[in-house]
Amino acid sequence: MIEVAGLRVVLPPSTIALDGVDLAVGRGEFVVVLGRSGAGKTTFLRSLNRLVEPTAGSIRVAGRAVTGAGAAALREVRRQIGMVFQQFNLVRRASVLENVLAGRLGYVPPVPSVLGRFPADDRALARTCLAQVGLVHLAARRADTLSGGEQQRVAIARALAQRPAVILADEPTASLDPALTSSIMDILKTINVEHGLTLVVSQHQLETALTYATRIVGFRRGRVAFDGPPSAVTPTVARTIYDDGDEG
Amino acid sequence: MKPRAPRAALFVALVVLAWLVWDTGADPVRLARGMPWILDFLRRMMPPDLRVLPAALLGAIKTVEIALLGTAVAAVLALPLGFLSARNVAPGAVFYPARVVLNFFRSVDTLVYALVFVAAVGLGPFPGVLAVVAYTTTSLAKLYSEAVEGIDPGPVDAVTATGATRLQILRFGVIPQVLPLFLSYVLYRLETNIRAATILGFVGAGGIGFYLQTYLRMIDYPAASTVLLVTVAMVMVVDAISSRLRDRLV
Repeated sequence: MIEVAGLRVVLPPSTIALDGVDLAVGRGEFVVVLGRSGAGKTTFLRSLNRLVEPTAGSIRVAGRAVTGAGAAALREVRRQIGMVFQQFNLVRRASVLENVLAGRLGYVPPVPSVLGRFPADDRALARTCLAQVGLVHLAARRADTLSGGEQQRVAIARALAQRPAVILADEPTASLDPALTSSIMDILKTINVEHGLTLVVSQHQLETALTYATRIVGFRRGRVAFDGPPSAVTPTVARTIYDDGDEG
Repeated sequence: MKPRAPRAALFVALVVLAWLVWDTGADPVRLARGMPWILDFLRRMMPPDLRVLPAALLGAIKTVEIALLGTAVAAVLALPLGFLSARNVAPGAVFYPARVVLNFFRSVDTLVYALVFVAAVGLGPFPGVLAVVAYTTTSLAKLYSEAVEGIDPGPVDAVTATGATRLQILRFGVIPQVLPLFLSYVLYRLETNIRAATILGFVGAGGIGFYLQTYLRMIDYPAASTVLLVTVAMVMVVDAISSRLRDRLV
């Protein structure tokens, strides 16, 4: 479902964020990406839909090329990739439903959408996605009147509205009360199991990662330092991932 | 910063200040000697001649019309300019020329534009409207572009990630964030334009300023004071309405 080869990302001015990443993720996997902050987790997720421009290497998602795709082709492959962010990234002043409808932007006719008009089918789908995260009763509310946990669920609904093959979630629970971590991760797990979507989720909490993942990928200084099932994550492995080693 | 630097800066500032006082001939004694004349001027303005009240009110309405129409047109014209001169939205090739054009036109005041447009299209409120449009478009474009540059990139990322087009990203990721700011800037500009439009009549560009200038020239101070009072009332009313609207936006 996701094929990454030789991925290298140099962020301006000269930070090497990813330094040769090879990874293949199959359909229906629930991959949790671990690593210290700065290890390259966020850059990796953001380069999968080219919110960050890769410096070298190739990426394919759902059978389509991400790297090298022109503007139109890139938009098409982006529709296949839902994304959930640490800070939710909702449009605060817009209603919950409008935020979820944004997930349909890659599909609907562009001109009416810019005028705020969406086909009835897309509106219905947006409501279905909101129901999936249990928030359909808040559809008309302004997004910034919701709690953090609710906002993240709206963001998940927005990603679902894309009818994606893959969902990327970048530290989806890091801005939330720890008590809400499992509610968000449960929703992601449900999506993974019931809809067969492929998930790539970055997490800083090892325990959470081991509970939900079918596969753990550990990043260390821009490279994959571990790749295996949760059961293979021994204390030694955890130390390898989290230990930054000697600098210099 | 080294401890000496502030003292040196203070010294330089004092020298510059002294030179400014000397070169502009600023002289408190001269001001004191002029006070009786100012008082005499004020006394001669009393009581206001209310017979000119209808004319003054008509002039005030015309001034408000000039400011309203000019600001409204400028608010729309400034939209493309504002986005094109925002660093985070416009490509570099567009951004830099747009900034230069804005800074050039913004350096000229409404009153100077009025002189140009009176010469071009003749006397009356129309050149006043044009002058307000010319200045306000560029100054609003600058404010718009700063608002666009200050947005939260998060929602823009999120909308981009859905596979949206550039226009859709602008509409769903950027505009909801900046719209209330834009409206608030427009109202603020409307307030300053009312004041600017008051003066426009002095150069023949219509409105209440024309009456003020006429009565002053005719040395009809009671009539001029009526016009002044109407001007003050007009500015206060518009400010009050506008600031109430602005409060609602936040």
